[in-house]
Amino acid sequence: MTLSTCILLATALFCIGIFGLLSRRQPIAILLSVELMANAANIVFVAFGRYRGGTTGQIFATFSIALTVAEVAVGLALVILLYRSHHREARLDRATEMHG
Amino acid sequence: MTRSITLALVTLLAPAGAALLAAAIAPLRKRGWPAAALCILASVASFGAAAMLLLDQLGGAQHEAWTAPWLESGSKAIAEIGIHVDGISSSMLAVVTLVALCVQVFSLGYMHDEEPPAFGRYFAYHALFLFSMDVLVVAPNLLQLFVGWELVGVTSYLLIGFYFRKPSAAHAAVKAFWVTKFADMGLLFGLLVLFTATGSFGWDAKLSPGVATAVTMLLFFAVVGKSAQFPLHVWLPDAMEGPTPVSALLHAATMVAAGVFLVVRADPLFAQAPATRAVMLALGAGTALFAALLALVQNDIKKVLAYSTCSQLGYMVAALGAGSLVGGFFHLTTHAFFKALLFLCAGSAIHAVHSNEIGKMGGLARRMPLTAGAFIVGALALAGVPGLSGFFSKDLVLEGVEGKLGSVPWAALLFTAGLTAFYMGRVIFVAFFGEASSEEAKHAHEPGWSMRGPLVVLAALALAGGALARPFTRLYGEREPYAFHFGTSSALAAGLALGGFALAWVFYGDGRRTVPAVVTWVEGVAETRAINRIYETGFRSVTLPFAAALGWIDRYVVDGLINISAWLTLEAGRGARKVQTGYAPDYVLAVLVGVAGVAAWAVIQ
Repeated sequence: MTLSTCILLATALFCIGIFGLLSRRQPIAILLSVELMANAANIVFVAFGRYRGGTTGQIFATFSIALTVAEVAVGLALVILLYRSHHREARLDRATEMHG
Repeated sequence: MTRSITLALVTLLAPAGAALLAAAIAPLRKRGWPAAALCILASVASFGAAAMLLLDQLGGAQHEAWTAPWLESGSKAIAEIGIHVDGISSSMLAVVTLVALCVQVFSLGYMHDEEPPAFGRYFAYHALFLFSMDVLVVAPNLLQLFVGWELVGVTSYLLIGFYFRKPSAAHAAVKAFWVTKFADMGLLFGLLVLFTATGSFGWDAKLSPGVATAVTMLLFFAVVGKSAQFPLHVWLPDAMEGPTPVSALLHAATMVAAGVFLVVRADPLFAQAPATRAVMLALGAGTALFAALLALVQNDIKKVLAYSTCSQLGYMVAALGAGSLVGGFFHLTTHAFFKALLFLCAGSAIHAVHSNEIGKMGGLARRMPLTAGAFIVGALALAGVPGLSGFFSKDLVLEGVEGKLGSVPWAALLFTAGLTAFYMGRVIFVAFFGEASSEEAKHAHEPGWSMRGPLVVLAALALAGGALARPFTRLYGEREPYAFHFGTSSALAAGLALGGFALAWVFYGDGRRTVPAVVTWVEGVAETRAINRIYETGFRSVTLPFAAALGWIDRYVVDGLINISAWLTLEAGRGARKVQTGYAPDYVLAVLVGVAGVAAWAVIQ
């Protein structure tokens, strides 16, 4: 597997993530999309790490996974709050209290 | 703080405190008598301190000034605020506070029938007036004098319009305010020119001849308004709409004399401008004669006294124009006593008869001997009958004016002295002698003690005020001790005064009502109200259209610009708030577009 194939895979995953982020209404699906984008970045880290040699890329990817977990924890907490405050229904297009 | 300054501060702050308390504590004012008691107590304190100050100065105390920096810009103060004690301010303070005290005590009786809130309000205004006048008198520079000048203008407005439910009183108050305000522009501009030229508001600067003439002319314009000189005298007769004690204090004895006081204060400036002095001499003498002629034809006792006040202020202005500070200022002092006395006597007569018309009085001397006696003393002093206070002050004026401008002003003032005696004689014979002309006049009686007391005090001063000539002229800075000498002027003035009374007796004595031809003629001229009509026409054809044009510009151009900018802001806000949809993916999209933009920019670089 060459470097360019890895980068292409990562780009495809990132774009799918963006598409999901923009088109989904359920917060869980949006979190999944964000997860996809984060993992696209992780693939790039590892691919470049292997291409350059050494372990820096893998260490960065591990860090990134840990951070993503924290982010998902916060995100799920928000989803639960949203679910509770919007009549047992978590949909982002209904949460528009901040519109101007 | 020295003794003099402390005394001056008491004089200044006692009425200020009384006015403040009466204004701030409503029950005090609304119940009437507590405010009156407070204000009279303050006036007693004020007069006591002023009298001690005067005695100190007579005893040769130092001139003193106590000032604090005012209007600081950077490290330098533009002006100073404080107290200036010298012969001029201490004698003026004593006169002002004494007359104010007499008038306030008189008002206790005169205003007795007012509703309690109006009674309280009246005394609060009086205390405010006394404070304002004191601010003006003790001013250490012309800027503070200007502050006091405007304050007395406001209190004058409030007191003329005291019966504000009466349309004529409300109109008179507005007219007085407008006319004097118009003239006050002169003082303001004069101060600005003075400050630009010298960098201070002091009255003892050395100026170049051109600047001196400009400054003094502007100051004199303000004097013409405040001291009711021709052609800005029109407000003073109308100001008689106020209560009679107010006329006595403000529009005869003190406030209108503020103009004369300004000239006395700024004498070092006026001394550098001979042209201004010549104008003052001519205008003062002209006003004296003109107003005395108008006083001949008035049937309202207060109007006679009002025109007489214009006329006497003309004497003072003429004396100052001739360079005789002593004559002008001493006449101010004696005039304050006898004119306040005359007005209070008139008030006492009006109180008894319930009318201002001398035609409705008649025969009051038998029923009100004290009032009549006091009025006659005042009239004799005003006419300058030898021995009374007015004779000595008028003599000083005539002595100063003699020989100036080809002696024309001198002759005019002498003739005016005769006229003065004639019109005062007319009032005395018509109002106080002969038969009672109305039902009220038949049942007239002397007022209570609070009104009689001030009459006695002021009558004594009008009678013996001549004795003040020697100490007061020394206070004004005269080196030579005053000594009366019976010259041509004195003889002529005395003869004309006595002749005037004799002539009045011929026409009006013993119940006669002969009207001399000259009076009929003056009446015809006065009825045209020419000067008032000129002002009215000018007001209608110039001031009102100009104001309307300015109003249009303000409403549609100035306000229009503001409205347009407000409308733009609103519309922009309304457009901008559409960006905030509140839908999270939209914000994400915005972030992504931003990141893509930054990335694209980085690649292009």
